[in-house]
Amino acid sequence: MGKILMKGNEAIGEAAIRAGCLNYFAYPITPQSEVAEYLSRRMPEVGGMFLQGESEVAVAYMLFGASACGARVFTTSSSPGISLMSEGISYMAAAQCPAVLVNIMRGGPGLGGILPSQGDYFQATKGGGHGDYRLLVMAPASVQEAVEMVMLAFPLAEKYRNPVMLLGDGLIGQMMEPVEFPDHLKSEPTNKDEWATNGMDTRGSNKRNLVKSLFLDAGKLNDHNLMLKAKYDRMKQEEIRYESYNIESDYKTLIVSYGTMSRVCKTAIDNMKDEGLEVGMIRPQTLFPFPEKAIYEAASKESCKIVVSIEMSMGQMVEDVERSVKGKLPVRWYGKCGGDVPTPEEVVEAVKSF
Amino acid sequence: MEIDLDGIVIIVGNYGSGKTEVSINLAVNRKRAGLEVRIADLDLVNPYFRTREAKAQLAELGIEVVVPPMQYMQADLPILSPVVAGMIRQPSQLTLLDMGGNDVGVNVLAALGDALRGREIHVFQVVNPFRPFTNTAEGCLKIRDEIEKASRLSISGIIGNANLIDETSARDIYTGYDFALELSKKSGLPLKFVTVAAELMPKIDIKRFTCPILLIERQLVPPWKRAISLASKME
Repeated sequence: MGKILMKGNEAIGEAAIRAGCLNYFAYPITPQSEVAEYLSRRMPEVGGMFLQGESEVAVAYMLFGASACGARVFTTSSSPGISLMSEGISYMAAAQCPAVLVNIMRGGPGLGGILPSQGDYFQATKGGGHGDYRLLVMAPASVQEAVEMVMLAFPLAEKYRNPVMLLGDGLIGQMMEPVEFPDHLKSEPTNKDEWATNGMDTRGSNKRNLVKSLFLDAGKLNDHNLMLKAKYDRMKQEEIRYESYNIESDYKTLIVSYGTMSRVCKTAIDNMKDEGLEVGMIRPQTLFPFPEKAIYEAASKESCKIVVSIEMSMGQMVEDVERSVKGKLPVRWYGKCGGDVPTPEEVVEAVKSF
Repeated sequence: MEIDLDGIVIIVGNYGSGKTEVSINLAVNRKRAGLEVRIADLDLVNPYFRTREAKAQLAELGIEVVVPPMQYMQADLPILSPVVAGMIRQPSQLTLLDMGGNDVGVNVLAALGDALRGREIHVFQVVNPFRPFTNTAEGCLKIRDEIEKASRLSISGIIGNANLIDETSARDIYTGYDFALELSKKSGLPLKFVTVAAELMPKIDIKRFTCPILLIERQLVPPWKRAISLASKME
């Protein structure tokens, strides 16, 4: 199959099907509603199902229930919708139920606006819901990368028995780019018989599987949390992904930026290079786990004098950048909220001002 | 072969077929040919990448763009400006209506039924065979049927808009042209014109085409790219 032209939202929906996910639960919200629209048409064609919940709260528990039974599950929403799902996401993380969640971020807080934003970085990477849990969070910068990340998200969710989130801004959902799809994956979680409540007869076993998040005994809850922590630590060892740009130059400034914002930064870096000003960039592809070591090493380059986190938020990722740089260099933030994506010219101006 | 088109033109098609980019460039083409042109952004269903984003560039050329009131410009609300009915009743030499996608995108035309009644109009369906659901003639005909039912208007022509944006090759243009010819044959609708991006034009053998070509100077671009300047080409 050759390339086709797709909106990010459509491509995300198609990628889930290609990853063997036939269970999609969602509630429409701009700017991600095209996923639901696309899958409402596509799911029946492949024998799958799209069920629209009465709210995002319901959707989260539909995911939880179907996942607990061993189904490969998927939802998409946008910022306020993810807030509503957060309780259920915490339950899924606690009960170790794999799920793939997509947040096509819009401006916040509150109802905010419908234009692109990266204001849900904290929510995605630091919890969002209650308790000590983490999501594995990936951030695509192109429609093709969104496809690849969705397809990777399903096996990772099953490997760690943990929800995986794709954090895209509104532009990722709405822009059109040519995409290619790899082959189908198999449609069942490989390890589900070990944990899913899919019936002892079904799996031909006399071991009882139990999915739960309630541990009233203090010692048992502590043990459970230690086990979850060990999984998150393993993610930090095995799942860090990032891209470097112009990192071989003798840059004075290192930019850290993710998602579509990083593409504006690339144009800005190219423009500055033409003027004789070298700027490097690390683009985290995973936001949790965060590429701390890569950023520390890039900031350790002799020529580098300053690190700037550029994000469509009022300064969220910058805290992780500061943590990564460990005080070695000054760390600054530049960003904009509301939906006006900073232009390459504005990025150049900001970089020069520091 | 030049595009010869005036009157009231309604641009329809499936989501992402390229209606807006076609509408903008058609408006520019006709304006450069000396026509008085007005264009209305009637995409009430899509939140991003709408005609209103090219308003400033079009205004500089003297093309009036009718958009929702300023305070609602970035909303995804179904706001139909009363000015639109007026521009149909007193049309310019070319009055372009850029509709939203699929059947839901043309529902708004029902509200303009009174204004449209009895008028001679052109309704053109934009097709891009590199988009999902319109990669076959049958897919395009299904969308045609849905759009005609929702709008209660008959589609009168086809616009071939085969492209993969920046990755379009000359071969894709030829494939798309053949596709549009085939669709024209199956549907009985004339192929009004096909589009070619300005940067690809030097690689295209125009002798291959029996219909006019609309040059696309891309206006709907992500923030890290620049829209092609339209002003410099004005005569």
